[in-house]
Amino acid sequence: MRKRLLATSLAALIAATSLAGCGSKTEKVDTATTAAEATEAATTKADDGAKTASGDKVSLNICWWGNQTRNDVTKKAADLYMSKNPNVEIKVEFTDWGGYWDKLSAMAAGGNLPDIIQMDYSYLNQYQKSGQLANLSEFISSGIIDTSKIPASIIESGSIDGNCYALSLGSNAPLMVYDKAIVEKAGVTIPEQMTYDELYDISKTIYEKTGVKTVYDGWINMLQMTARANGSHIFDELMAGKEDSTKIHFANVEKFQKAEFSIAPDILVEKNPDNIETKPIVDETTWNDFPYSNQFISLSNAAGRELEVTMNPVLTKDSQNMYLKPSQFFSIAETSKNKEEAAKFIDWFTNSVECNEILMAERGIPVNTEVADAIKPKVDAVAQKVFDYVAKVAEIAVPIDAPDPAGKGEVEALTKSVVEAIRYGDTTADEAAASFVPEAKKILEEAAK
Amino acid sequence: MKNNQMTPKRKKTFTQVMNTPKVAGYVFILPFIIGFLAFLAIPMIFSLGFSFTRYNILKSPVFIGLENYKAMFTADPKFWKVFGVTMYYVLFSVPLRLLMALLVAMLLVKSTKMSGFYRAVYYLPSIIGSSVAVAILWKRMFASDGVINAILGIIGLPSDIAWLGRADTAIWTLIILAVWQFGSSMLIFLSGLKQIPISLYEAATVDGANGIQRFFKITIPMLTPTIFFNLINQLINGFMAFTQSYIITQGKPKDTTLFYTVYMYQNSFTYNKLGYGCAMAWFMVFVVGLLTLILFKTQKKWVYYESEG
Repeated sequence: MRKRLLATSLAALIAATSLAGCGSKTEKVDTATTAAEATEAATTKADDGAKTASGDKVSLNICWWGNQTRNDVTKKAADLYMSKNPNVEIKVEFTDWGGYWDKLSAMAAGGNLPDIIQMDYSYLNQYQKSGQLANLSEFISSGIIDTSKIPASIIESGSIDGNCYALSLGSNAPLMVYDKAIVEKAGVTIPEQMTYDELYDISKTIYEKTGVKTVYDGWINMLQMTARANGSHIFDELMAGKEDSTKIHFANVEKFQKAEFSIAPDILVEKNPDNIETKPIVDETTWNDFPYSNQFISLSNAAGRELEVTMNPVLTKDSQNMYLKPSQFFSIAETSKNKEEAAKFIDWFTNSVECNEILMAERGIPVNTEVADAIKPKVDAVAQKVFDYVAKVAEIAVPIDAPDPAGKGEVEALTKSVVEAIRYGDTTADEAAASFVPEAKKILEEAAK
Repeated sequence: MKNNQMTPKRKKTFTQVMNTPKVAGYVFILPFIIGFLAFLAIPMIFSLGFSFTRYNILKSPVFIGLENYKAMFTADPKFWKVFGVTMYYVLFSVPLRLLMALLVAMLLVKSTKMSGFYRAVYYLPSIIGSSVAVAILWKRMFASDGVINAILGIIGLPSDIAWLGRADTAIWTLIILAVWQFGSSMLIFLSGLKQIPISLYEAATVDGANGIQRFFKITIPMLTPTIFFNLINQLINGFMAFTQSYIITQGKPKDTTLFYTVYMYQNSFTYNKLGYGCAMAWFMVFVVGLLTLILFKTQKKWVYYESEG
């Protein structure tokens, strides 16, 4: 009997705790709804935010994707901010890139996005269009976010329809990376920016002299760069059903793939160039690759050799496709209760030398030019190369394409499939372009609904 | 949530109420019921609802009737491709895994000092087999400079095959991984084998039946209920395979290893087409249900239950 009593009370305890769990959940929903109501109220009297803040502790949630270095430095920066602003409590959350967007979309669906969201250029449009992001322009014009040392093009890169919704945290540029020793051994010099034809010839010479192969990036970034070199915007072309740039790009993929110097398609698949650590340049299977500038540091570390950078190739000498890309942004959620406090933090994050001495350009070259100058002498030789490269690109860069439309992810996957078919010789460049463009158009139209 | 068992009738004390068999029973199963409702039943009902909507997660779902299903069957060639890939995978991996499991179970059925150890060792892969770490290990093993090619090189076979990069071999690396995870089926076979009365074998031996005859005339028929159970279980498992395709091959090359579940995941979360993803999920529920039903119908023809005499 006693045993049974024990068992039942134990079960009751379990049941009670699980009920309590459910209870707190419903409570949470309640607070969420009141939070939503509160936000409505808050937006009507947004200016009062600061006053109420001075009394109570304001808590700010920040969410980002990243790596261990980023997590460490960002937490350190947040601690420093809290010690300087005792009325602010910062709660941080971070995941890797893949999990981040699943998590964020679930949070958005539940109406509880973090106050400060790390945003990416390819998702900016989607989140802004569905009304999730606060308009930062009012904070910029009121001076809460100081942009006097930030180039206008940077503000522009996070703006949609004339309003800024995301402030870039660092500048990035596409590039071609190459192995210095292999290139020297082959006795070729890599120009600052070459044409596709020059790249073809150089690749051939390197293969003949050293036996090292070449990779030609076939995927959406290169398609985009080719369209830019061709004087257009790839998503405009696809939406209009135009094949021009796609044809040029696929023809290039085919031409490079058929050359003897090209890495075989099955080896390329096996290496998986999507991962920095397994890019074929890392184990000297190829002498080149096409990453972004903020990946150069980790790529150099993975390779453990001296790598050099040059600009992406262009169609002809008088065309230009290079651009500066925001590596990532901070946005404020429209549902945030403390927009003004969040804006203050973003201001500090971008404009304070002290903060950026902790961050050390891990998110790309600081957008505040004075901050960038202050940080530059303190970084190591590999990071110096990135600073110099981005500065060089800044001189010749042409404006970045408008943020990618919804459906980009699926078009990207389609590009991969089609380019693989070309690489394996299942289809020709012309056939591929003819089937790819209408399919991509359909995806984009569907996603715009 | 039902709260009634927490508010006792006035006449009895709380303990008395809790001790009535009915209440105690419900309280005991309550944790399961809550888990079942919260993590299975309710989400499933929601997903059925979402499958009739266009839902990109960020905006509220819009009811579009059967559009998702229509698009799936008529306008998405990749859908049928991944369905084919998954069927191929199930068709080969499940029978091979069962065969392997039965083979090893036959070897381990004799009790020796070490049999406990061996059973544990052979069971290990099915615990860790679908983990990310093993997926990465597999990727390294089948790399062109990996251990598989090295072994092939030693015994004088061609050793420069990019197993994961070739359209005809990539799926087989995943099938082999699945076959390697035979442990749980093996354990079930083991207990099945042990339940076969020794008297049957003894009688057969007296009648002059040799090992092969005993295997096909006694072991297999007596084991059919176990085979049936394993088959259903592994079939469902096979359709649910995800990690292998997601981590080892990412569906490459040319989508020849893109599993249904991975494509469903991509649609739901990478392309933000959650409505479409839900529709895909429900089609999979239908297919697995149908196959299970067919297997149950054929049961009478080949599954032998002792109780039926």
